[in-house]
Amino acid sequence: MSRREGSLEAPQADSSVSLLPHLEAKIRQTHSLAHLLTKYAEQLLQEYVQLQGDPFGLPGFSPPRLPVAGLSAPAPSHAGLPVHERLRLDAAALAALPPLLDAVRRRQAELNPRAPRLLRRLEDAARQARALGAAVEALLAALGAANRGPRAEPPAAAAAATSASAASGVFPAKVLGLRVCGLYREWLSRTEGDLGQLLPGGPA
Amino acid sequence: MPAGRRGPAAQSARRPPPLLPLLLLCVLGAPRAGSGAHTAVISPQDPTLLIGSSLQATCSVHGDPPGATAEGLYWTLNGRRLPPELSRVLNTSTLALALANLNGSRQQSGDNLVCHARDGSILAGSCLYVGRVTNHAGISQHGAETVLSALLPLQVPPEKPFNISCWSKNMKDLTCRWTPGAHGETFLHTNYSLKYKLRWYGQDNTCEEYHTVGPHSCHIPKDLALFTPYEIWVEATNRLGSARSDVLTLDILDVVTTDPPPDVHVSRVGGLEDQLSVRWVSPPALKDFLFQAKYQIRYRVEDSVDWKVVDDVSNQTSCRLAGLKPGTVYFVQVRCNPFGIYGSKKAGIWSEWSHPTAASTPRSAPCSVCLSLRLILPVLASLLPSPHSTRTWLRPQESGSWRRCGGGAPSFPRPPHLPRGAAGPGAQLGCCSGPQGGPGP
Repeated sequence: MSRREGSLEAPQADSSVSLLPHLEAKIRQTHSLAHLLTKYAEQLLQEYVQLQGDPFGLPGFSPPRLPVAGLSAPAPSHAGLPVHERLRLDAAALAALPPLLDAVRRRQAELNPRAPRLLRRLEDAARQARALGAAVEALLAALGAANRGPRAEPPAAAAAATSASAASGVFPAKVLGLRVCGLYREWLSRTEGDLGQLLPGGPA
Repeated sequence: MPAGRRGPAAQSARRPPPLLPLLLLCVLGAPRAGSGAHTAVISPQDPTLLIGSSLQATCSVHGDPPGATAEGLYWTLNGRRLPPELSRVLNTSTLALALANLNGSRQQSGDNLVCHARDGSILAGSCLYVGRVTNHAGISQHGAETVLSALLPLQVPPEKPFNISCWSKNMKDLTCRWTPGAHGETFLHTNYSLKYKLRWYGQDNTCEEYHTVGPHSCHIPKDLALFTPYEIWVEATNRLGSARSDVLTLDILDVVTTDPPPDVHVSRVGGLEDQLSVRWVSPPALKDFLFQAKYQIRYRVEDSVDWKVVDDVSNQTSCRLAGLKPGTVYFVQVRCNPFGIYGSKKAGIWSEWSHPTAASTPRSAPCSVCLSLRLILPVLASLLPSPHSTRTWLRPQESGSWRRCGGGAPSFPRPPHLPRGAAGPGAQLGCCSGPQGGPGP
């Protein structure tokens, strides 16, 4: 190897150039998936509020945005974090969502048994959240930024959501479901935005 | 305070904010200490009511600091603010509501009755289910019927399940299925529970393996007694009530079914163009108990959907089909009924049909004698008296004369072209007929 200026970096540059197109394609693919799922989440939310009856669908309806076991909304400071950190939080939230969506679906199966489309959307949402979360984690691993620390505990969240949902009155259950569907949409939208920042031309 | 509101340093941890208790429901129904906010409880929670009836409800406020006031609270129903004259303050922390002449609920999940604070924030909610009493025809009526139905749209307590049928596979288990009652199943989520107990003693047991052979079925895999009757019933429950089916009483031995006969072989009978030999094995699971099995055979031409059934093939494991078309492929199936198992006086339950087995009848060169025989033999057969007029197929015997299945005279000279023992070496000749009504296809 000749000792030209910068020549020591040549081998790494060669390997990273060969990896970049593949990684970029994966980022684009995951970003597209997040974009699509965000649209689905909007539809889910619309269908959900429609079936709970007014005031759920009314413009001024504003139930308390209260914590849901195991998951919170994206913090206002989320956008200020490094992109890898944001994506780790996105992946963790997407992992926590499926048991919550399952709990909502089970309760809605009792409250709206004649609404198969809503029940199907809720079931699909749980699967899609799982899939997108796995895709984001795969990207993080490819970027060398995978989470090595202890994770949140989806099973505990699921147990809490399930037992509480089963025990609660109908109105609180409706509100809880609305909250979960809202969080689902928020985190999908956030994930789409964070992945967009990884695309070429986006800020680092 | 919303969760997750931390500085960037704290949020650099590689996970979302830690698990929080499920506070949403608590806030809607109980105070949060130290928060300075108020919550409330509505009573009754999620009532079911008749159209035209009245409702008395209360909204009781809790809060920190104590002594939260009911002043300024108001009600909405399905998002519409209710007139103030319908409310009154019961005490400093409780607002009452009186609704009269209720209309039917607007949505299946119930009308949303909400208690609001002065600033419009939601303190508590309750869902009302308002409907009317119906008879089975769905005609509205008022009266003293004890069954309350919220017909809204068409929500009613479950009707009692019916038409319970059960069967035991090889006396090892019991599977039952039933038909749900009409209304409750269709419009409200209904839970079904299959119950069973020994008739003369024992406690109620509940089946646990559901949906094994369809949506309304259950499977009891073990620990079943023989020679003693069981009582079996189904309980249906939805949010408006419950219903219980009639009790079915049965002995496991009276409802036994088994596997289809294995190893079904279909083969030609030498050169006979119109016959096929069917052989099978008795179902192995019941081989030690099956003293009086019955079998049925069905067969069809390859490109037909019409099966011909040979009935009452009793306690034998071979049969010859006759009157078939030459040079034709036939599909054959066999099934078994463990009739009279362990001395049961009842017929068992037919097994599933075995997998189809195919074979073809031979076709020889045109033969004028054969053609004549085909024309003559059915005519001769129809002239012979028989208690079962359709069962007149003949079989050759070593004496060379043709005899009717099951013995008896008269005999006819054996057609010269048919060799002795035409059934083929080693074949077990079962006496088997064509289908009722005449020759086979």
